[in-house]
Amino acid sequence: MSIQYKSIKELKNMLDDRVISHTELIQETFLNIKNNSGLNAFITLNEEESIKKADNLDNILSSGSLAGIPIAQKDLFCTKDLKTTCGSNILSNFIPPYSATVIENLENAGCISVGKTNMDEFAMGSSNETSFYGNVQNPWGENLVPGGSSGGSAAAVAAGIVPAATGTDTGGSIRQPASLCGISGLKPTYGRVSRWGMIAFASSLDQAGPMARTAEDCALLLNEMCSHDEKDTTSIDEAIPDFTENLNSSIQGLKIGLVKEFDLSKLDNNVVEVFEESKKHYESLGAEFIEISLPNISLSVPTYYVVAPAECSSNLSRFDGVKFGKRCDSPKDLEELYIKTRSEGFGDEVKRRILIGSYVLSAGFYDAYYKKAQQVRRLIKNDFDSAFKSVDIIMSPTTRGAAFEAGSKGDDPIQMYLEDLFTIPANLAGLPAMSIPNGMINNKPIGLQLIGNFLDESRLLQAAHNFQISTDWHLKTPKGIKS
Amino acid sequence: MDKKTVTTIAHLSRLSLDEKNEDKITKDLENIIKFVDQLDEVNTKNVEPLASPLEKTAKTRADNVTAKNRKEIFLERSPKSNDDYFLVPRVVE
Repeated sequence: MSIQYKSIKELKNMLDDRVISHTELIQETFLNIKNNSGLNAFITLNEEESIKKADNLDNILSSGSLAGIPIAQKDLFCTKDLKTTCGSNILSNFIPPYSATVIENLENAGCISVGKTNMDEFAMGSSNETSFYGNVQNPWGENLVPGGSSGGSAAAVAAGIVPAATGTDTGGSIRQPASLCGISGLKPTYGRVSRWGMIAFASSLDQAGPMARTAEDCALLLNEMCSHDEKDTTSIDEAIPDFTENLNSSIQGLKIGLVKEFDLSKLDNNVVEVFEESKKHYESLGAEFIEISLPNISLSVPTYYVVAPAECSSNLSRFDGVKFGKRCDSPKDLEELYIKTRSEGFGDEVKRRILIGSYVLSAGFYDAYYKKAQQVRRLIKNDFDSAFKSVDIIMSPTTRGAAFEAGSKGDDPIQMYLEDLFTIPANLAGLPAMSIPNGMINNKPIGLQLIGNFLDESRLLQAAHNFQISTDWHLKTPKGIKS
Repeated sequence: MDKKTVTTIAHLSRLSLDEKNEDKITKDLENIIKFVDQLDEVNTKNVEPLASPLEKTAKTRADNVTAKNRKEIFLERSPKSNDDYFLVPRVVE
């Protein structure tokens, strides 16, 4: 029986009913990965170790809730003794001596990490075109980008190669590729999932989350990913609910906010049509729509492009060729060691963001840019706080359109930055948000974004699951994937 | 934003820029800074800066040793080291 496009839930049943053994599942997964290597979704495979673990599971009973489920890990998470590049040349030889908490949690639940997925370098990009390891192909069409930065994770799930993947989201890096590849992806509340062992881009925005075929699978993954972690001082110490518990509860009376300031008239007609359809569908499920105002929302992208580069320039100063990663050849002194290592090791987009960050943090500009952006950030968060007094969730398109062609955004960085217009606000405010497939435009999938209140992932997942049990957008599969 | 500013921030960032691309980088940075300059128009008087979406962070814990010293493995995986140190070019003559 084919395992392609099976959800976690379906695979769990197949394993439980002994329709397939753990070893067969993993062997077939690697066959699918190799048959579709043209997608370039993976940077490093973990085949030997995976087969060993599967063989173990065939011989001993495991109690883990995700025992034997193959998962693709974004190459931004440190994985013990398995190369971790973060999409960069500077880490092309980096073998971490420890695993990220998220990886440990998932592996403790029985997940098998089959490989590390391709991504925009240091998660800086919206198309996966900034990876040192080459573009990732969107399974939905030749030369289409998968989105970014978690592009490899999204493509691997969309091609039905793995049922689950991890992603990270600093300004939309889980939700935007989920939208462009036609899968479900959730960015949890900031602090819900430990950042320990995640290679930092912008520490006040970064959050790890699940990417899968369905909202239900995202809930199963999130149940295991979350934990209070003393090694991360921003890890929230709050009760972690069973995220699957309310999935099937009715959403009758759910109050959904529509953001007045999101000017949809500037979008492609098809995007608006798809969005309107979803609204009608939610109405038929008993939800009620309320217009809300987020007066400062239009300032999200410029705010983000001060805060994120500032934190990035600070975080990436650790890559200096001294303690780990690559070092340039024969530097004449320490200064040259730093400069040559970094200049050879980083790509253009990463350098650009480090430069902006250094500029906005430099003496004389700090107040004008960084402090100012942090003040506007508070205004944006306050807007959300007031909005959530009258609504349960907020809904918008995830992206401005469906997947675009590689190279089509030209070389103007701002055009690419605007790609994250709808996704950035949730990162600035630290709110949970997810994207689920809600339509097709010219045979390419597109996603619907749901933003929730602080720590209210359960309600997002419930709203998404209710949508998915009554629609089939999440079940569409691309043509031309080999099995 | 001019080439001199770009050279200064490149030095602060310990990056050397490709001379061929200097004009393009200067122009890109100028456009990005112009783009974020729209924040200038917002009235933020008396608004407390928000550094993190969680305002209650940095919980303290008991001062106990929780991790064992793994010096060997970190040194072994570094670009250049001896038994006790990461090695870099000589700093003091």
